[in-house]
Amino acid sequence: MARAWGGSRGLQLGLIALLLAGCGGKHVSPATPVAPPAPAVIVLLPDPETQVTGRIVVHNEFGSIDVSSARGSLRTTPGTAPGPVTTMSAEDVTRLFGEALAALPPAPRHFTLQFKFESDALTDESAALVPTILDAVKALSVPEVVIIGHTDTMGEAKSNLALGLRRANAVRSILVQAGLPPATVDVTSHGEADLLVKTRDNTPEPRNRRVEITVR
Amino acid sequence: MSGLLRTVGALAIVVGMAAPAAAQQPVPAGHVKTVTGAAYVVRGQSTTAVKPGDAIFASDTLRTAGDGAVGITMRDDTRLSLGPNSEVRVDRYVYAPGEGGLGMVLKFMRGVAVYVSGRMAKLAPDSIRLEAPSGIVGVRGTTVAIKVES
Repeated sequence: MARAWGGSRGLQLGLIALLLAGCGGKHVSPATPVAPPAPAVIVLLPDPETQVTGRIVVHNEFGSIDVSSARGSLRTTPGTAPGPVTTMSAEDVTRLFGEALAALPPAPRHFTLQFKFESDALTDESAALVPTILDAVKALSVPEVVIIGHTDTMGEAKSNLALGLRRANAVRSILVQAGLPPATVDVTSHGEADLLVKTRDNTPEPRNRRVEITVR
Repeated sequence: MSGLLRTVGALAIVVGMAAPAAAQQPVPAGHVKTVTGAAYVVRGQSTTAVKPGDAIFASDTLRTAGDGAVGITMRDDTRLSLGPNSEVRVDRYVYAPGEGGLGMVLKFMRGVAVYVSGRMAKLAPDSIRLEAPSGIVGVRGTTVAIKVES
């Protein structure tokens, strides 16, 4: 089980911080006792886009606790188990975390493109998405476009990795021809490792033969 | 059409050949997207001001001054932002689903930060750990705010 940190690394950081601060002119000897790990406040928030609240588990060497309610909040303190869970007011969330929340980058956007059967041409539906993808890229100040090829589970995992890359490169060509700046694009393949529809191995599934585009 | 296929095939071969060399280059964990005031990355012995577009790597520490805030988006769509007087280390970051490698450890050392989970939390939630000094957070999604008290 992973232990909460705060031992020698914490001491080093503490020393560095003190040295950087450089105030007081007091020498800090390496034998200075280690300060106990700092307490922390942990809050589970609804997703900024979907408003869905997920779940977290907070543990240290003294215990473990689940949080699954919106704005469910707890403190971790050295020497005791985390908890109990209370609900933080929306005002307190803004007061404590407003500046960090405001600094969150925009949510990545995802598009899925599919090919006509046994073809390197996009389906009509997918071709119609191309302008929307280009608009999403233009809306960002430092855009990245990631094109990920996926396959179904037919055949070997290794050859599916190569097949996914071929599909991703085909989509890259289409988007660059449509005006996407090539420098922003990263092409990769997840092969059969990230199925849209979970299947057994060696299962043909058209919905898994896809190219996903992330604009972020 | 077969011309395009041939080109794509050739590209795939080139990329395939380049892959072993590329694997030795460090792959960024993510990129800086938002900066307000003074925000820095600590990499080894050097501390550098960051700007939008800068790459962030595993083992980097993000740090903000009293007027600073910074937001990054990682390769799996995980988002992380820091408020003022804050420090978070990207202790570990591996995202290679095709090759079966997934893992992220973020160390919240000081101040306030917000984490919004990405694809890694869907593919392998147990591979993600948010470490505060006195407790470790396992994430099933999606958004967690952490304040380390000083």
